[in-house]
Amino acid sequence: MSIINHIKRNKLLLIVGAIYLALVVFKTDKAILSFKNSSYYIIEMLQIMPVIFILTSLIEAWVPRKVIMNSFGESSGKKGAIISFLLGSISAGPIYAAFPVCKMLLKKGARISNIVIILSTWAVIKVPMLANEAKFLGPKFMAVRWVLTTISIFIMAYLVSKIVSMDTIPVKERNEHNNDTLRFLNKAKRGELYMKGHVDKDTCIGCGLCPAVCPEIFEMDDDGKAIAKGIEIPDNVVGSAKEAEEQCPVDAIKVQ
Amino acid sequence: MDVFTLFLWVITGIAFVISIVKDKKKTFNSMKMARGMMKSMIGQIIGILFLIGLILTFIPPEIIKEYLGKSNTLLSTIIAAVVGSITLIPPFVAFPLVGSFVDFGVSIVPAVAFLTTLTMVGVVTFSLEKQEFGYKFTLVRNSLSFVFAILISLVMGAII
Repeated sequence: MSIINHIKRNKLLLIVGAIYLALVVFKTDKAILSFKNSSYYIIEMLQIMPVIFILTSLIEAWVPRKVIMNSFGESSGKKGAIISFLLGSISAGPIYAAFPVCKMLLKKGARISNIVIILSTWAVIKVPMLANEAKFLGPKFMAVRWVLTTISIFIMAYLVSKIVSMDTIPVKERNEHNNDTLRFLNKAKRGELYMKGHVDKDTCIGCGLCPAVCPEIFEMDDDGKAIAKGIEIPDNVVGSAKEAEEQCPVDAIKVQ
Repeated sequence: MDVFTLFLWVITGIAFVISIVKDKKKTFNSMKMARGMMKSMIGQIIGILFLIGLILTFIPPEIIKEYLGKSNTLLSTIIAAVVGSITLIPPFVAFPLVGSFVDFGVSIVPAVAFLTTLTMVGVVTFSLEKQEFGYKFTLVRNSLSFVFAILISLVMGAII
């Protein structure tokens, strides 16, 4: 199972490797030429890749995202828009990692326009990514695209909030999820069982969603996969742990 | 190493030292996270970089330039935007790929459209987004992002 997943994950590398191997055998000069053509990009990448990942991790470790999110409900208007912009920009991870965060903020009373700002900046505007863009496409290219994108995001936020009304957004929890959580919670209270989280490493794609939803239980392991801390899940965390289980894009999580 | 990369290393170095002075364990954990992220992406990154070499060898730049550069900017931009919407590759890997295309003469307009829709429009994640925010929100947000991506690319083509 694990070997198959390895192959799946490195499909591109294996295909490209196979082409190179075939070239070495049949057209050695072309293989050498291809390698030479790649070498410029490989050297550039090796110079910038470690620094980008280190910077991303340092930002993730030190920026108090929880604090920002907690102060969110009270802020509105311009201040809310700016906080949304910052929240999106400092967060690491793919856009779908932003969905549960935004959903939570909606429940806290965030405006639709601010949700659009968070989702868009989360996707597009990231300091380390901007560095990468400037490296391969030039600082001017990056700067102009950044300015234009930022303007677009604010216009889009305004437009979406005018077109989409709040009642088209399903804010309520799905019932079965609630019942499920309650049932487990009651059992746990009666001491019949305690809950633990489990991540199937072979299935996990390392998207970082579960530690974003429920940092109390899930964290990212050395190998870039998620791991559940081997502790009993406290009652007040069961909800978010269940949420993480449900949100997992590849259903690798079991909470029971 | 160019000035820009050097600058980034210096900034990160300073941030790292401050971080280690303030909290050793936290810094150590964040380095573990950096290592994990790099490990999970390195295969894809190396694959793409070597693919660039193959493309450059077998498809001469002149041909790419002819097909993607001059022919019909608006059409190629829309195609690039559609491709960007349905692909799900990390932007981190997309920059060197797009950079190589621009290096050998492809117009930047489709390049910008691709990069922008790649991150902002998600066809693959549409159902996930719909589930959280409803059909209307998801449709409006993604369509607007698509339109704005094309606008951004056209404006950039005029400025740069």
